[in-house]
Amino acid sequence: MQTSELLQSYLVDTNTWDEMYKDASVREQYKKVVDFLQHLSVDELNKKEELAKRLFMSQGITFTVYNSGEGIEKIFPFDIIPRIITSAEWNYIEKGIKQRLKALNLFLKDIYSTQFIIKDGIVPADMVHSCPHYLREMYNFPVPHDIYVHISGIDLIRNNDGSFYILEDNLRTPSGVSYMLENREITKRLFPDLLPNNNVRSVTEYPSLLYRNLVSMSPRQTTKPTIVLLTPGIYNSAYFEHTTLARLMGVELVEGSDLVVDNHRVYMKTTSGLQQVDVIYRRVDDDYLDPLVFNPGSALGVAGLMSAYRKGNVAIVNAPGNGVADDKAIYSYVPAMIRYYLNEEPVLKNVPTYQLGKQEEREHVFANIEQMVIKKTNGSGGYGMLMGCSASKEEIIDYKKEVLQDPRQFIGQPIISLSSAPCYMNGELQPRRVDLRPYALCGPDGIEIVPGGLTRVALTEGSMVVNSSQGGGSKDTWVLSPLAEPPPL
Amino acid sequence: MLSRVADSLYWMSRYMERVDGILRMLKINYASSQDDIQEFSWKPVLKIFTYLESNEIDALSPNTRDVLLFMVTGKDNPNSVLNIVTLARENARSVQDHITKEMWQCLNDFYHIMRDDKLNFLLEKDDPISTLDNLIRQGLLYFGTTDVTMARGEGNSFISIGKFLERAIQSTDILDVKFSNLNYELDKTADTTYWKYLLMSISGYELYLRTYRDGLEARNVVEQIVLNEQFPRSVVYSINQLHRYFERLKSNRNKVGFDQIDFMIGKFKSRIKFSTSNSIIQEGLHHFLNETKTGLYEIGTGISHNYFAIS
Repeated sequence: MQTSELLQSYLVDTNTWDEMYKDASVREQYKKVVDFLQHLSVDELNKKEELAKRLFMSQGITFTVYNSGEGIEKIFPFDIIPRIITSAEWNYIEKGIKQRLKALNLFLKDIYSTQFIIKDGIVPADMVHSCPHYLREMYNFPVPHDIYVHISGIDLIRNNDGSFYILEDNLRTPSGVSYMLENREITKRLFPDLLPNNNVRSVTEYPSLLYRNLVSMSPRQTTKPTIVLLTPGIYNSAYFEHTTLARLMGVELVEGSDLVVDNHRVYMKTTSGLQQVDVIYRRVDDDYLDPLVFNPGSALGVAGLMSAYRKGNVAIVNAPGNGVADDKAIYSYVPAMIRYYLNEEPVLKNVPTYQLGKQEEREHVFANIEQMVIKKTNGSGGYGMLMGCSASKEEIIDYKKEVLQDPRQFIGQPIISLSSAPCYMNGELQPRRVDLRPYALCGPDGIEIVPGGLTRVALTEGSMVVNSSQGGGSKDTWVLSPLAEPPPL
Repeated sequence: MLSRVADSLYWMSRYMERVDGILRMLKINYASSQDDIQEFSWKPVLKIFTYLESNEIDALSPNTRDVLLFMVTGKDNPNSVLNIVTLARENARSVQDHITKEMWQCLNDFYHIMRDDKLNFLLEKDDPISTLDNLIRQGLLYFGTTDVTMARGEGNSFISIGKFLERAIQSTDILDVKFSNLNYELDKTADTTYWKYLLMSISGYELYLRTYRDGLEARNVVEQIVLNEQFPRSVVYSINQLHRYFERLKSNRNKVGFDQIDFMIGKFKSRIKFSTSNSIIQEGLHHFLNETKTGLYEIGTGISHNYFAIS
C-alpha cells in the first residue's frame, strides 16, 4: 500500500499501543478504512467534517455554555475517523465486564445486608462506612430482583502492551450512551456503505433492551407499566441524552415537579389527573432524589420518593447507594471481590491503586509523584485531579496540603499511557489518546452489552485526559462481526 | 400527557403563530413605507407588538431600518422575532420526546438562523422583503412539518388550541390598533391604501376583492376580519377551529374542567356568530373589540388553570 499524504505525519509514540499501526504497517482491522480514506481528497474529508458539525448542530446535540447572561450552543467535538475493535478483543472485554458487574452487584447486595465481605476481612469496614455514597437508607432493603446496577458504563484503557485495564466503574448514572447512538448515525451519513463493507455490528438495539429491562422491574404486574425518565431539566448538560432515550424508548420524560407522592405511591401530573408511576429511570443523583431523606434543598427530586421505593410501590433505576461500589478507594478491592464472590480470577486488570489514607502508600506516592496521577475518590469528570508529570511545583505542594487534610478522599495511580488512535486533524491523520466506555445492561435475564460504546479522545496532542469537560471529544466505535475476521490458517 | 408537556406545546405553538404574524406585518408595512411615506407610520406595529412607552415609540418609529432591527433581532425587545423563536425553541426542547424529530430540527434550525450575525447585516443593508420572506418561509416549514408529521393526539390538540387562540388575539389586536388611530370612527379615512395594507398584512386582500365589489370600506374590513368564516385569520374561523380541537380533549377524567371551558368557548362563539357588522357598529366597535379580547384572555386563563396548573 502506498503511503499517501494522509498518513505522512502519523508518528506513533514508541511507548504507546496504537490502535491502527503496528510496526509501521496498518493493522488488519483498519486496512479497509485506511484504503477508503486514501481515495478521498483533503477537500472531501474537510467537507465531511463540516457536515458532521452541521448535523450535530441542527439536531440540537449540543450543550449550552452560559456566558454574560447569554446561552451559547456548543457541540461536543466529534472525530470522523472510527475507532475499530476486533471481534476477539470484544469477546474478551465482554467477558471481563460481565464478570466484574456480577461481582459488584453481589458486593452491593452484601454490603447493604449481611456484610459478609467485611466480616471475612476482605474489605475493611471503615473503607465502606467512610464513603459518602454509602447510604444507610438502603440498608436491609431487598431491591427488586437483587439488581442494583441496571446500567453501567465501565471505562477501559489500553496500556502500552495492548492489554485492557479498568479505569473506573461508573455505576450510578453513567452518561454518554446517546453519543454511542448518534455518532453511529452520523457515520452512516458521512461514509455511505462503509459500515456494511466492514461488517460492523449494530448498536441500535440499546433502547429496546433498556426498555425491556425497565418493564421487568415494574412492581405492578400490568401489561403496560408506566415508565418515566427523571431528568434534572433542560439546563442539565446531558439533557439531550435524556430526551433521546425517552424518545427512543417511548417513555415519558419527567422533571421532579411533574411527580408527586401520595400514600407511598408515585404519580405524575397529567392533563387528565394523576397517573401512577411504576418505574423511574432516574438521571438525578442520589443526593437530590428526595428532599425528605437526602439534600433538603433539592428541587430536582420528589418528596416521599424513598418511602414509596422502600414500600416496594415503585422501582428506581439505578438503585440509590451504588456510589459505594464505584468509589475510587473501593476500586482497588474489586479484584478481591471477584475472587471472594465468584471464585474466579479477574479477566480485566485493575490499575494499581494506592490508598493515600494509608501512610506507607501515601509516602510511596508522594516520593514518586512525577509518575503518578492523584484523584479524589468521589470526583468525576476529570475535576480535582493532579497529573504528576505535567503539574508545576507549586501545584504539587498545594495539592499535597489538600491531600493531608483528608487523605481518605484521595487515591494515587501510576500514570498509564493510554492507547492512541487516528484522528483527522488539519488534512491528515494524527494519533490521539483514547479510552473506551461500553454500556452494560443488567436485567433479570442476565447482563447484556451492546457491541459498541463511547470512545472518548483527548484532542490535544500528547494529552491523556479524555473527559469532555477537559477538551475531550468522541468517536464512533466499531465492533467488527466475527465474519470480518480473516479465516484461521 | 403531562401537564407540563401540554403547557410547553401550547406555548411553543402560540409563539410560532406570533412569529408568523409579526413577520408578515413587518413585511407589508415595509412595503407600504416605500409607497407613500407621507401617510405611513411604524407606530401601529410598535404599539401592537412591543411594550414600548409612547415617547420611545416616537423616537424609534421614524427610522425604518432601526424598527426592523428592533423587531427582528432586538435583544432588549422581549417580543422580537429572535426572542420569541428562542422561547418557542426552549419550549420545544423540553418536550422533544412529544414532537417529531423533524419538528424539533426545524425549530432548532430557525433558532440558529435567527442567531446568525449575517441576519443583522442583511436587515441593515439588503432588501428587507427578501430577508423577511426567508424568515417567513422558516416559519412555514414549521407549520408544514407539524401538519405532516405530528400525531393527531392530545399533543396536536394543544398545539392547535395555542395556534388559534394566538391568531384570534392577534387579529383583534390589529383591528383595535388600526381603528384606535381613527378614534373608532368608521367613516373617517377615505384613504383606501390604509385598508389595503392592513388586509395584505394578514393575507386577506385578495379575498376582500372577491367578496366586496364596491371598494375598500371600513365596515367591510371589520366584517371580514371578525365574521368571515372562510377567512383563516378571522376571529370566527379561529374560535371555531379552537373549539374543534378543544372538543377532542373530552374525557371522563377531567370532566368538570372540560365542561367549564367548553361553556366559555360556546358562549364566546355564539356572541360572535350572532353579530353582524351593523350590530357591531351599533354596540360600538371599541367596546366590541374589548369584550372580544377579554373573552379570549379568559379562555386562555381557563385552559391554563384546568390543564397546565402543575403546582
